Amino acid sequence: MERPDTRLLTDQPYDESLELHDSEEVVTPTPTHTQLQSKSRQRSRKGRGQMAANSSSDEFEEEKAVSHRAKEPISGQPGLNANEEEEEEEDDDEEEEDSDEEESDDDEEAGAAPKGAYDPADYENLPVTTEIKELFQYITRYTPQPVELEHKLKPFIPDFIPAVGDIDAFLKVPRPDGKTDDLGLVVLDEPCVKQSDPTVLSLWLSEESKQHNATELKKVTSVASPHRNPRAVEGWVESISALHRSKPAASVLYGRPMPDIDSLMQEWPCELEELLGAARPPPAALACSLAQYAELLCALLDIPVYCSRIHSLHLLFSLYLEFCGSAHFKRRA
Amino acid sequence: MILSRIKPAVGGEAQSTVSDKKKKSKTKKIPRLEEYLQQRDYLGALTLLEFQRDTGEREEHADLWIGYCAFHLGDYKRAMEEYKSLTMQADCPAEVWVYLACTLFFLGLYKEAEEAASKAPVSPLQNRLLFHLAHKFNDEKKLMGFHQNLEDVTEDQLSLASIHYMRSHYQEAIDIYKRILLQNRDFLALKVYVALCYYKLDYYDVSQEVLAVYLQSIPDSTIALNLKACNHFRLYNGKAAEAELKNLIDISSCSFEFAKELIRHNLVVFRGGEGALQVLPPLIDVIPEARLNLVIYYLRQDDVQEAYNLIKDLVPTTPQEYILKGVVNAALGQEICSRDHLKIAQQFFQLVGGSASECDTIPGRQCMASCFFLLRQFEDVLIYLNSVKSYFYNDDTFNFNYAQAKAALGNYKEAEEVFLLIQSEKIKSDYVYLSWLARCYIMNQKGRLAWELYLKMGTSADSFSLLQLIANDCYKMGQFYYAAKAFDALEKLDPGSNYWEGKRGACVGVFQLILAGRESKETLREVVPLLRNSGNPQVEYIIRALRKWAKANRVPLS
Repeated sequence: MERPDTRLLTDQPYDESLELHDSEEVVTPTPTHTQLQSKSRQRSRKGRGQMAANSSSDEFEEEKAVSHRAKEPISGQPGLNANEEEEEEEDDDEEEEDSDEEESDDDEEAGAAPKGAYDPADYENLPVTTEIKELFQYITRYTPQPVELEHKLKPFIPDFIPAVGDIDAFLKVPRPDGKTDDLGLVVLDEPCVKQSDPTVLSLWLSEESKQHNATELKKVTSVASPHRNPRAVEGWVESISALHRSKPAASVLYGRPMPDIDSLMQEWPCELEELLGAARPPPAALACSLAQYAELLCALLDIPVYCSRIHSLHLLFSLYLEFCGSAHFKRRA
Repeated sequence: MILSRIKPAVGGEAQSTVSDKKKKSKTKKIPRLEEYLQQRDYLGALTLLEFQRDTGEREEHADLWIGYCAFHLGDYKRAMEEYKSLTMQADCPAEVWVYLACTLFFLGLYKEAEEAASKAPVSPLQNRLLFHLAHKFNDEKKLMGFHQNLEDVTEDQLSLASIHYMRSHYQEAIDIYKRILLQNRDFLALKVYVALCYYKLDYYDVSQEVLAVYLQSIPDSTIALNLKACNHFRLYNGKAAEAELKNLIDISSCSFEFAKELIRHNLVVFRGGEGALQVLPPLIDVIPEARLNLVIYYLRQDDVQEAYNLIKDLVPTTPQEYILKGVVNAALGQEICSRDHLKIAQQFFQLVGGSASECDTIPGRQCMASCFFLLRQFEDVLIYLNSVKSYFYNDDTFNFNYAQAKAALGNYKEAEEVFLLIQSEKIKSDYVYLSWLARCYIMNQKGRLAWELYLKMGTSADSFSLLQLIANDCYKMGQFYYAAKAFDALEKLDPGSNYWEGKRGACVGVFQLILAGRESKETLREVVPLLRNSGNPQVEYIIRALRKWAKANRVPLS
């Protein structure tokens, strides 16, 4: 069943290289060519299909022309004979083809005698004794056995195939308020790449609306394998600090009376200044617990410690921040 | 957008949200829903809607808005739940049923979608949905019915174009898009649809040009950037494609989940299959290409059986599917010597290679060549391989087939050259390669190289066959020295059979060549022991004749 197909395909290179400028020309050569095929050769749908595809939809010649160019490297490739003068060369092709076939048939039949094969006639005229001549007969007495070799098609493995997805089918939910959206028409119906983070946004919303209890964090998100995903972590830290920057600094209501920062920032008596200059303040390596050390420092700085150290420490660090931010001390440092 | 899902998406775990940054403007006022919708920041819109629901200040139709946002975000499960709970309410508007059906459709729950759609009032959306469902169910009759209900309005026509696209009727789809674009120049999204069609038609540079128009106005579109990456993959290479995709990943926020599967899938593709076993299996029947790519991956790993298992139940519809089925059947058929598989392979190759859409593509040509190769019609194989050979200069697979075809037609000189281009050790140790190369050597009067091929082989059934090839082909080509050596080796390996006649002829042949001045006289010295190895009574007679001549011509024999 394949034989006729086979034949017709041998014409294919010729077909492909036809340069057609008009859709009408597309159809005409086909039957002509078919007649030329003396035997009952059919033409493949191949060439015709291709041409038909190219000639359809004239409306968009501009882009059609481009797409034709895109295909050229492929369809131009099999143009074994670059046929410009089609009609004349057609017959030649035919003959060439036939003679090719004959040749190959010869090859098959006379398979025993390929080019360069041993031919006893080449050696007939060697000046040798009859004894040797007799010996030579042994050569032709053995006929080499034809050894059939296996063929193996190594199937081509296609390239990996990327996915581009499908086209919007307009199976979509409309806006509840009945207004039109341009989704799928002016813009693709796809979410924007920059989506708000729900956690950050809800924190921010509750901050803005002062409805703190309304949004108990519903879910606590986490970053899987943060060492491999630093972008997520950094992004989170950044957005949360932006959130904090946007709101006023937290104020702490002390449970017990505390001295105000200004009074704590007053200069110490000269004696104390001198003493501290010579003796240095107690270092953190002091042999005492952290709690004791905190109390010690608070005492030194005139910060009272009541039942909890938290408030006292808060005042201590507020004092520290105040010094850090003070223009006066910056200049001195 | 994935309409081709087969595997239902529901039944899995709740969607985990990756935490991270991003807050819109730094403005202090509470943003309005409309702003989020305009930005297509549906996650933001959803958060706002939920916040308002919790604080009691309700937008009108808040539930419907939540469904709308979840739907367009691509969170169809969430949207489905929203609509489902709405349908439970007594005062539920009837259209909600069709919305629910839409979400079910995108979740791959086609039966359920049809059921829900049937409860909705007749509407264009309902008709479009049923139209697409009929396509999914392969129900041609219903399909035609709903097709006739489509009207000449934009949405219906676009929906029809989408069906054309899924049925590989790209030109028809393009025609629709262009017609609508002529009337509505601002419908830029249609440019992307046209670009998708051109991509499928293998006009990658045209696709790229059309796509550029959209990207100019929306530079961060996921679908468009992914398509651009795919065009780059086809036009250039995986590296270029990956760079485009990386760009997309970098500009998207971490909470962005849309098309994430598509991107993961394509990263595997662009990286030449890296991570295929981790990424692709869960995407089978979600992204249609995932199964095919996994098959390709197995083929590349030479795991033909696994490839076959994955594809055997697939009913091919696209050229790529036919090609892969052909390739897998060809590989398996040759591996297990199954005529049935080879027959299927040959038919699929012929179908693709002869089709109007594929006959001029490189894979189409490869198919035709493979088809003829399986039919052992090597003249035709060569026609097709020649037409694409410039694309495969260094491709071992191509060269292996190409050289075999040339050798089969007796063009041994070129066949030898092409065989020698092959680098793959696996092919080079294949007996088919060795035997054909040996034959080419011999036919090209290079018997010594064929003999060396034999020497490099270990003793095996193959090396025995190779000896027979060398012995007989060399004899035929008058290269009697290597014929004699091969017959001698055969005699030793297979004492039961009679190789004397061949060996005798070959040895005398060497003598004749020496007399004709075509072989050095010293070779005669090697012929004598070869003869001696045989116990035939004729040996002495021949040796005596040789000695006589040697003496007269002063050629030392020992």
